[in-house]
Amino acid sequence: MIGRVKAQTVETGKLLADWIEDRTGAVSMMEKFLYEPVPKRGAWLYTLGSATLFLIVLQFLTGILLLFYYVPTVDHAWNSVYYIMNEAYFGQLIRGIHYWSANFLMAVIGLHMARTFFSGAYKAPRELNWVVGVVLFLLVIVLAFTGYLLRWDQDGFWASVVGIKIGSYSPFIGGYVVNFLIGGDVIGPATLSRFFAIHVWLLPAILAPLIGVHLYLLRRHGEFGSEFEYTERLAKLKERQRLEEYERRYGLGEEEEERRE
Amino acid sequence: MAELQKDPITRSDFLGLGVIGAVMGTILTIPPVAFVLTPLIKTEVEGESDVLRTWERVDHVANIPEGEPVSYVIEFPIRQTYGDDRIQEESGVSQQEFTVRNGVWVSWRDGQPPEVLGGIGEGDEVSRDQIEELTQHLNVMNSTCAHLGCPVRWVAEVEELLCPCHGGLYDINGEHIGGPPPRDLYRYTFEIREDGFIYITHEFDGDPYIV
Ligand code: HEM
Ligand code: FES
Repeated sequence: MIGRVKAQTVETGKLLADWIEDRTGAVSMMEKFLYEPVPKRGAWLYTLGSATLFLIVLQFLTGILLLFYYVPTVDHAWNSVYYIMNEAYFGQLIRGIHYWSANFLMAVIGLHMARTFFSGAYKAPRELNWVVGVVLFLLVIVLAFTGYLLRWDQDGFWASVVGIKIGSYSPFIGGYVVNFLIGGDVIGPATLSRFFAIHVWLLPAILAPLIGVHLYLLRRHGEFGSEFEYTERLAKLKERQRLEEYERRYGLGEEEEERRE
Repeated sequence: MAELQKDPITRSDFLGLGVIGAVMGTILTIPPVAFVLTPLIKTEVEGESDVLRTWERVDHVANIPEGEPVSYVIEFPIRQTYGDDRIQEESGVSQQEFTVRNGVWVSWRDGQPPEVLGGIGEGDEVSRDQIEELTQHLNVMNSTCAHLGCPVRWVAEVEELLCPCHGGLYDINGEHIGGPPPRDLYRYTFEIREDGFIYITHEFDGDPYIV
């Protein structure tokens, strides 16, 4: 009885998968997206990219949730964050995740970059993916910077003042940079509005498709050091060792001859 | 490359496309860029300011102590997007008064009040000569550090104004004595009036960028 039900379920499952595969190609696509050879050595370090992606997705999800209550005006911003923290169910959790995930994101993205750098994964043909990665990194930094002002409390405010004022030291255009960022000549309603626009619309809208490009390029060339490259490099190494061995013997022979003469 | 040239375009077509492209590109770019840069154009090019040129009362000179500076928070009304007073009046929606809050340090030069201060109390009329004398001895400084803008505080033990961010140091006159700041604290344009009160306006000896 149970066996029959099980067999039937498997059968229907297969039918369903086949049906979907037929119309959309989703199943083979899943296979393509999910399975990727990864080098055996240092495999854990290769999860840093996925960790970054995971945290960014968390930022998007919790960020969208925060937007249900957050009000981006100077007279209400702090109050709305206060409401999130004290009135909204699980508000502390949602905001806490957004806050801590932003912090960890900076660390993890840095480690991911370091891994790519030290394993030489930026080399041909993967140069462009390194470039895209650097742009992603800069976008995340600006996201973290613009997000901090949105709290509109003393911490976020003064940190932003310092951050913005660093821009005032740019040669020739210092003043323009500051006035562009604060939307006038003092920090006020315009400043919060544009930081909000940049944090919640502009940068996520650029970030998301770029992540797509990053992953596409990754799949196009495969994980650096993946199975194929590994065996090839191993073969090259063996060949070099063989040559060296040969040369050593041959060269040694010559030296011997010279000495005897 | 070869494939791209299967359908070659003529020189004049190429030029024509280039010109049309440039014109369309410009037309499409100007509105959004100018839109985003509005505040920049208004302040930097047209020379407008968000801060209304009002004079705000700080305190009576008799209340400025000897040997240490005192701090005040002074608010200047501003007009900026929805905080614009004209827009608020017309819409009648928001009751909030939008201001920029400035931290202000006031001290006597080297901590020494001038002789004339002795005879002046609140409510007394102050003469022109006295005003002149007092003005020369008064420091009215913005509290944001000249380095990157953190608010500085007075540390009584060492008798210095100290910046918590990167350790900028100023003496009681706001003169830079150590740390990264490239200059002294910014000074307000101020006046002492006949009633003996200090008034300041949002104007500085230099451009502090953010205050
Ligand atoms: C890589 C992506 C992101 C980073 C690094 C980031 C970082 C931050 C940071 C540091 C804060 C200040 C939080 C605090 O101090 O409590 C913040 C606040 C905020 N973020 Fe993000 N964020 C990201 C993406 C997003 C997205 C995609 C949205 C919405 C679509 C969003 C919406 C918000 C909102 C509404 C706030 C204000 C509420 C609050 O301060 O808790 N964020 N963000
Ligand atoms: S902001 Fe004061 S020392 Fe840097």
